[in-house]
Amino acid sequence: MGSRGAHRVAAAGVVAGALLLLVLLALPIAALVLRGGMTGLEQLGSDRELRHALLLTAQTATVATLVTVMLGTPLAYLLARDRVPAGTLVGALLDLPLLIPHPVAGMALLLAFGRASPAGAALAQLGLAIVGSRTGIVLAMLFVAAPLYVSAAREAIARVDVRYESVARTLGDSPIRAAWRVTRPLAGRGLLAAAVVMWARAVSEFGAIVILTYNPKVASVLSYDRFTGEGLDAALPVAAVLVILALVPLLVLRSLRAGTALGEPAR
Amino acid sequence: MRPLRIAPLVALLACARPDAAAAAGADTVVVFTAASLAVPVRAALDSFARRTGAVVQQENGASLELARRITELGRVPDVIALADQELFPQVLVPRAASWYVRFARNRMVVAFTGRSAGAARLTASNWYEVLARSGVRVGRSDPRLAPVGYRALLLYRLAEGYYRLPGLASRLEASTPPALIRPNASELVALLQAGELDYIVDYESLARANHLRFVTLPPAIDLSDPARVSDYARATVRIARRTDTTTYAGAPIVYGASVPRAAPHPAAGQHFLSYLLSPAGQAVLRAHAVDALRVPELVGDSVPPALRAMRR
Amino acid sequence: MIEVEALAARAGAFELRDVSFSLPHGAWGIVLGSAGSGKTTLLETIAGVRAAASGCVRLRGADVTQVVPERRGVGIVYQHALLFPHLTVEQNVCYGTHDPQHAVGLARRLGAGPLLARGVRELSGGERQIVALARALAPGPDILLLDEPLAAVDPRGRTRLRRELRALQRELSLTVLHVTHDLGEAGTLGDLAILLEGGRMLQAAAPEQLFRRPVSAAAAEFLGAENVYAGSASPLESGAGDEPGTMLFRAGSLRLVGLAAARVPIAHAVIRGEDVVLARERAGTSSARNVLEGVVSEIVKHGALARVTLEVGELPLVATVTAGSVSELGLLPGSRAVATIKATAVHLC
Repeated sequence: MGSRGAHRVAAAGVVAGALLLLVLLALPIAALVLRGGMTGLEQLGSDRELRHALLLTAQTATVATLVTVMLGTPLAYLLARDRVPAGTLVGALLDLPLLIPHPVAGMALLLAFGRASPAGAALAQLGLAIVGSRTGIVLAMLFVAAPLYVSAAREAIARVDVRYESVARTLGDSPIRAAWRVTRPLAGRGLLAAAVVMWARAVSEFGAIVILTYNPKVASVLSYDRFTGEGLDAALPVAAVLVILALVPLLVLRSLRAGTALGEPAR
Repeated sequence: MRPLRIAPLVALLACARPDAAAAAGADTVVVFTAASLAVPVRAALDSFARRTGAVVQQENGASLELARRITELGRVPDVIALADQELFPQVLVPRAASWYVRFARNRMVVAFTGRSAGAARLTASNWYEVLARSGVRVGRSDPRLAPVGYRALLLYRLAEGYYRLPGLASRLEASTPPALIRPNASELVALLQAGELDYIVDYESLARANHLRFVTLPPAIDLSDPARVSDYARATVRIARRTDTTTYAGAPIVYGASVPRAAPHPAAGQHFLSYLLSPAGQAVLRAHAVDALRVPELVGDSVPPALRAMRR
Repeated sequence: MIEVEALAARAGAFELRDVSFSLPHGAWGIVLGSAGSGKTTLLETIAGVRAAASGCVRLRGADVTQVVPERRGVGIVYQHALLFPHLTVEQNVCYGTHDPQHAVGLARRLGAGPLLARGVRELSGGERQIVALARALAPGPDILLLDEPLAAVDPRGRTRLRRELRALQRELSLTVLHVTHDLGEAGTLGDLAILLEGGRMLQAAAPEQLFRRPVSAAAAEFLGAENVYAGSASPLESGAGDEPGTMLFRAGSLRLVGLAAARVPIAHAVIRGEDVVLARERAGTSSARNVLEGVVSEIVKHGALARVTLEVGELPLVATVTAGSVSELGLLPGSRAVATIKATAVHLC
């Protein structure tokens, strides 16, 4: 066969493997959209419950993402610059929520922040509760998705040479200012990608949310509810519409990434 | 290059493993159970497995959800046990099942814990006042999905007539905002235990099994007495879903079970169901606070011989 | 001025230890060392972007060891310029100053005028260094740290940049600390030379001192001394006070009279090639204490210079002479020749 032929076979194998995975992922989504997409889109006009569920999903996922970006980016920065004591341990702890089955995550949140807990009692004083509320939805989304953001943000920041910050410091910037003016724009693309991943994960969450908040219903809970109460044909349009509508912000964000060249110029 | 080719084969072989146990010759029994029966039936399955060496698999959920799994997803168990025997004639018979057996009773209670607001003064005669008070968190199930949900509403309507308090039913309904509605009976228990709810309207069997405190309600309203069929039937509730509306009339709470038509292991299914209905099985159920009927009632025609012996 | 005392710092697994020197205001200091010797770590510790593990850093007479880098008034230029990629050249230059006009003026002066509107990625190595320099100087520091600034620049740009740097330093009275591993760069510029090796400071002295009187054989070799012999020495005449005394050095059959600091155990003799004078025969008496006879084994010419290796006994002696003298003397491999070296040119360490 000779080495040329062997290389061709290997290359074909790689391509075949890649195609197989793509088909595996694309086929169910295509089936979903084909079977339920049109009905779902038509229903949007008349189905108030569906519209509310989609809106609620988008709102809560966005809130969860914004909160995570605000709190998680500094943490990702500290981890990337190795300024966290026992950083490896902290990093591993941050990954734990990803390993917990989602309903179990919901139960854990209930234990920690439910009315019967000290934290929950404090929340109640503020008029907040996690059961049956938007707060609970945001909390569940945050719990399962924030580790993804922090990991990815940490990578993005670590890829920016720390010496840029050193130079900025000698030019008069405080550590925070240097990170803001130099590292943030340079890591910008990676941070945005991380936020997109987090948002997508939050939108798709079901198990942890449904433990805390069944009503008001996010789209994932609604599709489960429709399936249980009315059958597959009623559930598919909800799922299909969710997929189609989620494509819009994802595409917008991805094209934003491609458009900017290494972040915006400083103002 | 060789390792590349072998890897996919190995992966495929690995996936084929799980059926090894079945192939080895032991019975496999797949059971769908209503949430309120989950623990008792689990115990019965374990006991059955010990006696016969069968491999048992159990899936729990709201009764209607389980019925949908069969009719919509084509996932059929060997035995299905639901909290409302009405679901059989309504949803499963004749397409998915041709017969069913009524095998246990239950009653509605109001369950609570020591932490519940107003629990100290709660009695069988003032329960409805406590529940209707503002600020009290009362949980019940979604009537569109779970029998215990519409039964709670029927309970309220019966109470309105019994206590002669017009408007009581709607006040009690309003005491549960949508945020406190849950898909099935067991979730109510979990939330009560977690302190998120003060009171739940749920089955006695669950209250007992979870060692919850509860108020026993007058038999005229708690759907427990088979003799009061016509009294219960005076209360009705219309449950509107998007595409259809079902009217449920009050009826004594009776649990039903069957071996569906397309069961993958029908003989094993009948075997387990016979066990469940036998005195030994009934003992297990009663040990878990389920009020098993001493004489199960068979409904339908093509009841398998193994079970026909039960008919008396 | 820059003063460092018993300074120690860590960079990952690397340790910089016990560095001490004093660079007066307005002077040009050179930090020499091979790759990995700790030069960049030293600069970063002086700039404050790396914390000192122990010891102290004094700038302009004040102890700044605990002071944050943004308040030290030190500019730094890294080897690869490290211009901010997301900013234009002009934005880079104006980054650290509130006076953009001054910054732009400085950039123009350094020759970066035509580059101002450009993005950073289009620049050549030399252009980047100029911009980096302008950026560092724009806020008006009086101390400048340069980490191999000419290394990434092409040879022509290098000469120009060296000239500009010198001019600027004089004009602005900058105290400069300049890191390099290239001896050629060091030779022409420095007032003080600091030699680092493996995280330790080997020697800090005027460049002349460093080259002529390296403190150890390792230092000598790094500094390019052509002849380093291992052996032992015994005293001949003691010096007055702290001044070096003369000693007799033995290595195999080689005998050399050289200078050594008293009380230092002698293990090596160092002779620079350019200090060896060649002739065909012995001259009459002269003040030179070392006259060695040998046979030419190799002659290598570099343009106007030639490197002649003489076998003296069993050891080689390298002499750096002009190519012209090689021809005049008629030296060829195999010729006999006489090498003369003054005792003051034989450094014992």
